[in-house]
Amino acid sequence: MIALKALRKNLFKSLLIFLSITIAVMAIFLISSVSQGVIGMYSKMIKTDGDIIITQKGISDTFFSNVDISLIQKIQNIEHVNSSYAMIVGASPIGHIPIAGIYGTTPNHFSHYKLSSGEYPIESEVILGENLAKQFSTKEINIANRKFKISGTYKSEIGFEEGGVVMNIADAGALFNRSASFILVSSLSVDKIDEIVEKISKFNSDIEVKTTQNFVKEYNQFKIIENSSFVISFLAFAMGLMGIASVMSMIVNSRKEEFGIMRALGKSRFFIIKNLFFETALMSVSAYLFALILSLGILALLPHIEMLQGYVNGTLSISSALYVLASTLIMAFLGALIPAWIASKTDPILLINQGCA
Amino acid sequence: MIKASNISHFYGKEQVLYDLSFEIGSGQFVFLSGESGSGKSTLLSILSTLLQPSKGELFIDGEIISEIKNIDIFRQNRVGFIFQFHYLINYLTVYENIALAATEDKKQNINKILTELKIAELSSRYPNEISGGQRQRVAVARALVNEPKIIFADEPTGSLDSNNSLIVYELLKNAQKGGTTVVVASHDMNIENYATEVLRLRDGKIL
Repeated sequence: MIALKALRKNLFKSLLIFLSITIAVMAIFLISSVSQGVIGMYSKMIKTDGDIIITQKGISDTFFSNVDISLIQKIQNIEHVNSSYAMIVGASPIGHIPIAGIYGTTPNHFSHYKLSSGEYPIESEVILGENLAKQFSTKEINIANRKFKISGTYKSEIGFEEGGVVMNIADAGALFNRSASFILVSSLSVDKIDEIVEKISKFNSDIEVKTTQNFVKEYNQFKIIENSSFVISFLAFAMGLMGIASVMSMIVNSRKEEFGIMRALGKSRFFIIKNLFFETALMSVSAYLFALILSLGILALLPHIEMLQGYVNGTLSISSALYVLASTLIMAFLGALIPAWIASKTDPILLINQGCA
Repeated sequence: MIKASNISHFYGKEQVLYDLSFEIGSGQFVFLSGESGSGKSTLLSILSTLLQPSKGELFIDGEIISEIKNIDIFRQNRVGFIFQFHYLINYLTVYENIALAATEDKKQNINKILTELKIAELSSRYPNEISGGQRQRVAVARALVNEPKIIFADEPTGSLDSNNSLIVYELLKNAQKGGTTVVVASHDMNIENYATEVLRLRDGKIL
């Protein structure tokens, strides 16, 4: 009750704290959601239709990987293998678009891309993701100085793919000068995956064979994204913390007389600290809810911004939301700690000294 | 009730009180008088437990103040304060200001005191919505709410006109008649008419 009235009384300064928490929390929400979204999209792309992934050994990114596509023939003969397909993942300017994803795949994987119009591509043809297709009204497009006929458009739940083109792996191989970026293998039985991994590993010493589950866990790019996201979130947290601490210091300074009255009336130091923490917690929780609503709105808008071609996507899980709530409360607690401590040490004697004869 | 034993106080190297010893009996109305700089506010601060003396001991009801573990609770239960400026919290109503000072078991006194001090109709108003005299009456009500054994007042009429000053004196006198010890530090010599005991200070010494 006292806390609420005090917040209302110090409306401008309370609003400053509210805003600094809102901005910090939104930054944490957005950076972690977008990074999780990017990781989620790529993981999904790799995990779909595949239990095992084969890449070139010692390569940090699938963009640089080159695997011999003829391995597919041998893999198909392994017991318990259901299917396998190869992919080339690359990026190139497409028409007037400065950069877009290019997915070259074996025809047995075309069904992964749900046609919304036209036909799957044959040689020198491509199908465009719906997001990318919005940018072209022509029947042909230029990719790395080669002309490709547009044979259709496709839908995909994965933002990367919606903003890219799909072509035959032979055409992609010619563009990027490689056989395949990776080969994905699906097993007939989950129990047999490790056995298949072992058998494929023996085919060639230049390849790295992993379950897609392990690949996603160990993939360097994901670690870079996660670490960058953590650093930016930490900086946002620190900025929020400094914002709370500095405004709370101003608030405490302007309310010294009030704390002196409380001390003179016999209120304990704990009473003052508790009230200031409660005020900060109230602002933090309301700023958190406000930031959550704003972030959800922005995350819902992101996939519809044509300029981003679906590459920036965000997912916000309940666990992330709870993690950010805990961070917000810690931020509020730490930010209010020193100002509240100083407030609680207000000497009530100042009330007599002010009127001292 | 209150016993000061060889109390001295320094602000840095400057000594402001010199070896003061005196006793104040229960139910007295004590007037601490003196010129500016005589040390009366410092002495009042020490007697009211807001300030620890540099030397000497203060006893209240036989308890040595420097040895009390929780001075906050002691202060809340035993002592009431009235300051020169009303020092009400401006975002709390009159009722809430008094309730802030009240211990749980004394909250029931609030309405009774508001009525006795003829400010019941102000209970839902904020300090900036009432006059200076009314604010000081609220400050008196806040000091009385826990039925303290002692009330300390520092220049309680310093910011009031003569009519309102008289009202505050009467309220303090009534409290004393009810058994409360009242200690008032003031320049206003009119208080002497209400006092049962006068402590005159000059240059930190009792005359």
